[in-house]
Amino acid sequence: MKSGTYIKRPNRALQIYACVFLFVLYLPVLFIPLFSFNDSIYVRFPMQGLTTRWYVDLWSRDTVWAALGNSVTVGIWVSVISTGLGVVAARAITRYRIPGQSAILTFALLPLIVPGIIFGVALLVLLSRLGIPLSLYTVGLGHLIICLPFAIATLLPRFEGFERSLDEASADLGENGWWTFWRVTFPMVAPGILASLLLTFTISFDEFIMTFFLSGTDTTLPIYIWSQLRFPQQFPVVLAMSSVILALSFVMVFVALWIGRMGVAREYADDPQ
Amino acid sequence: MVTVPDVPLGRPRKGFAAWFRRSEAAQGLALMSPTLLVLLIGIAVPLVILITMGFWTREGFGFDTTPTLDNYARIGAEPIFVTFLARSFMVSGIATLVTILLCYPMAYYVAFHVHRNKMLWIVLMTLPFWTSYLLRVFAWRVVLGYEGVVNSAFLSLGWIEAPLEFLLYSQTAVIITLTHAWAAFAILPLYVSLEKIDKSLLEAATDLGDGPVRRFLRITLPLSMPGVVAAFFLIFIPTTGDFITPALLGGPDGMMIGNLIQLQFGPVNNWPMGAALSIVLMLWIGALGLVFLFLTRLAKRRLA
Amino acid sequence: MDVLDHLDAVKRGTLSRRAFQRSLLGFGIGALATPFAAGRGMAQQAQGSIFTWGGYDLPEFYPSYIAANGAPPDFAVFDGTESALTRMRSGFVVDVAHPCSSDVMRWAASGLFQPIDTSRLSNWGDVIPELVNLEGNKADNGMPWLAPFDWGSTSVTYRTDLVELEGEESWDILWDARYGGKIGMFGSGGDAWWSAAIKAGVPFDQIHTDAAFDAIAAVLREQRPLVRVYTDDTATIGQALSSGELVAAMTWNSTAVELQAEDIPVKFAKPKEGALTWVCGLMLHRDAPNPDRAYEIIDAMLSVDAGKFMIGAYGYGHSNSKAFEAFTTEELEATGLSATPSDILGAGHFSTPQNQEWESRMNETYEMIKAGF
Repeated sequence: MKSGTYIKRPNRALQIYACVFLFVLYLPVLFIPLFSFNDSIYVRFPMQGLTTRWYVDLWSRDTVWAALGNSVTVGIWVSVISTGLGVVAARAITRYRIPGQSAILTFALLPLIVPGIIFGVALLVLLSRLGIPLSLYTVGLGHLIICLPFAIATLLPRFEGFERSLDEASADLGENGWWTFWRVTFPMVAPGILASLLLTFTISFDEFIMTFFLSGTDTTLPIYIWSQLRFPQQFPVVLAMSSVILALSFVMVFVALWIGRMGVAREYADDPQ
Repeated sequence: MVTVPDVPLGRPRKGFAAWFRRSEAAQGLALMSPTLLVLLIGIAVPLVILITMGFWTREGFGFDTTPTLDNYARIGAEPIFVTFLARSFMVSGIATLVTILLCYPMAYYVAFHVHRNKMLWIVLMTLPFWTSYLLRVFAWRVVLGYEGVVNSAFLSLGWIEAPLEFLLYSQTAVIITLTHAWAAFAILPLYVSLEKIDKSLLEAATDLGDGPVRRFLRITLPLSMPGVVAAFFLIFIPTTGDFITPALLGGPDGMMIGNLIQLQFGPVNNWPMGAALSIVLMLWIGALGLVFLFLTRLAKRRLA
Repeated sequence: MDVLDHLDAVKRGTLSRRAFQRSLLGFGIGALATPFAAGRGMAQQAQGSIFTWGGYDLPEFYPSYIAANGAPPDFAVFDGTESALTRMRSGFVVDVAHPCSSDVMRWAASGLFQPIDTSRLSNWGDVIPELVNLEGNKADNGMPWLAPFDWGSTSVTYRTDLVELEGEESWDILWDARYGGKIGMFGSGGDAWWSAAIKAGVPFDQIHTDAAFDAIAAVLREQRPLVRVYTDDTATIGQALSSGELVAAMTWNSTAVELQAEDIPVKFAKPKEGALTWVCGLMLHRDAPNPDRAYEIIDAMLSVDAGKFMIGAYGYGHSNSKAFEAFTTEELEATGLSATPSDILGAGHFSTPQNQEWESRMNETYEMIKAGF
């Protein structure tokens, strides 16, 4: 059976709905870049006039860059570590029969089904009992707890769908465990790893609730934004920063998509179906 | 089950090392050990401490650690806690249902009516969520505000005489904002499960004479239930504990349980109470989740 | 072929090495875009740190510090002094913190702070003495706990064109049923509670009694149906007053100053019962990691330049008497200040320091009232 999309007749109502939906979805978000050009520290509608001075200011506002830098650093570390931990966990669960593995899995996925505030609070209590000072490390730990379930949830299906016989074949051909993993398993689960890296980075980058409870003097971007929402002196600069991030994300995603399609097209040029 | 390759000459046949090589469980656990360690330290221990602290009471700068059920008794007795829990579940529940209802047609459209560039559509739908959650909430303040987009538009169209006040600093504002902010968590699971539906089933149903509505009710809807369930949990659970949206937009009547908990760790300075509230929240979410799962299973059986 | 089918191929395990490398390339390009930003935030040595209110993390408050160290100190921002203390008690260490005079007793009692060695502050000689000699500010060794920095009043800012006054200005404006749904109050307990005490006629030396708690709570409950929003967020209050969403709100002097600068017709009331006055300042953490930097921070904040910025931009008083010399009497009057703080401090009501139990009980009661209970 051809796996097409089945419905050939366009449904006008649905099309209109889709367009309205996208419009309503984007409208609030587009205010962020819009007001980053507003000539006033207050976000009021109608706008007071256009200016690019906030973008110019952005360049010299060290606190904003520091916050961004912290968010990126924490994000990268958390995404790498949580993906690494997720990979070994997924591999272990799919490759070996571990007693109580569904219990372990449920446990690992607990942060997905418990509101973030509870973990933030619990970790805060733990850290204060242990006398550990709050810092970016504690923030990283908090993010790790949140991101690990996402990593496992993303990676597990990839490892499960993967042919074990290839594993055995490679072992029979004389490759030991590590090389088997590196040259056989890894390339096949790589898209999953990539997805996990991106997902966990995104989650860590925008994470607020746990960070709120666990951060020290080094702020991350969401905490900085929170402080600016209440006292607005540098607020439009924050809007400018977010617009830049939004634009960069657009570019990143489209480039990645474009590259993916290019590769696919060339594959099909070599190997017509 | 995978057979372990023959043990080559020179490897130990007896003792711990041999047992280790033969035992799948041991190898698996060893491989997973870093993860397990993090899980233990990060989840198990804090939760245990939280539960323990729920049985303590506040005393000046520290805690009175004699175990007592005082906090839980207070939660049961004082109406504020029950009211806030109920309100939070109601607000989250409504927001979740509205989100799912609104996103379902969109997911359906992309799954069934978009033939090319599906990835593009998915990306388009999820890109807004690459902005900071806080700023999106704030953006809704701009839209719903006294001088905001909606009010300005309605005023200039002459539909209203004075700005609508209930749009902001109310539960309505919280629901609207939550719906928008969590839409991606509905679209993606719904899309995935709709996409997985075998189109041949639908074609067969058409051949057998079913109209579009019957097709939808008998095949599409039941088969997309896993997506609906996933979407429900992905949205309902985090939003019950949200304190940001109510703090920025809720006004006096829009506060939710997340705010109460956060206050216990802030100005009210009653950590044991905060811990107890968190445990109660968790238990309630678990209970509601089970009820929901039960209901959907019932619905699935009725429909199919 | 669709990218979706591409993913299908992945699932079936037939992803080619080329395609995999291309995915990596896409990720790599994305990853390259961010480090340049990260790099900027990395260049920081051991800076002093200050835990302060939002809006005070501006370089203009630390001119001599920046001149000496090339960059402003590290900032951590808090919502209110109570949550700040809670965080510090749970292990959060900074060099300098920014509480207010009524907090000094509790903060000192927590054992987390040390008295300030005023001989290390070059600007100390110019600090207005009345601000230093507040109740509870002298430690055993004769040094102060709190180096006063900013001071001002809390009162009602109201729209002169939308509010019809009956008689004199009074706190009653915030309780006026005619303006129900258009009144704003502070979100955090402190000033709200004390102003309600004024309204309820509770003398400040009685404020710890149960009778006082009941009276004040009753008054606040009576007000709740009239309040549109409880917030400390000066931006929100300012915007709401300027649009008419609120006609009167409890604010600090800075809000009135900012709105008047935008030509909105508001006035910072001088209530007949008296306004609340506050003095805030800096305390030194006992385990401050960078004590030298800490003193530099405090000294910078006490300087004349910081003072001029404070008075000019925020309309708050500053503790350095020389900072006032840059302004005329009219300018100072307009912002509700005077060059002799004792005038203002004497005319208004000063919140007296209370102990931790009272503070927690007060906050808890206020949160209940705000929640509607």
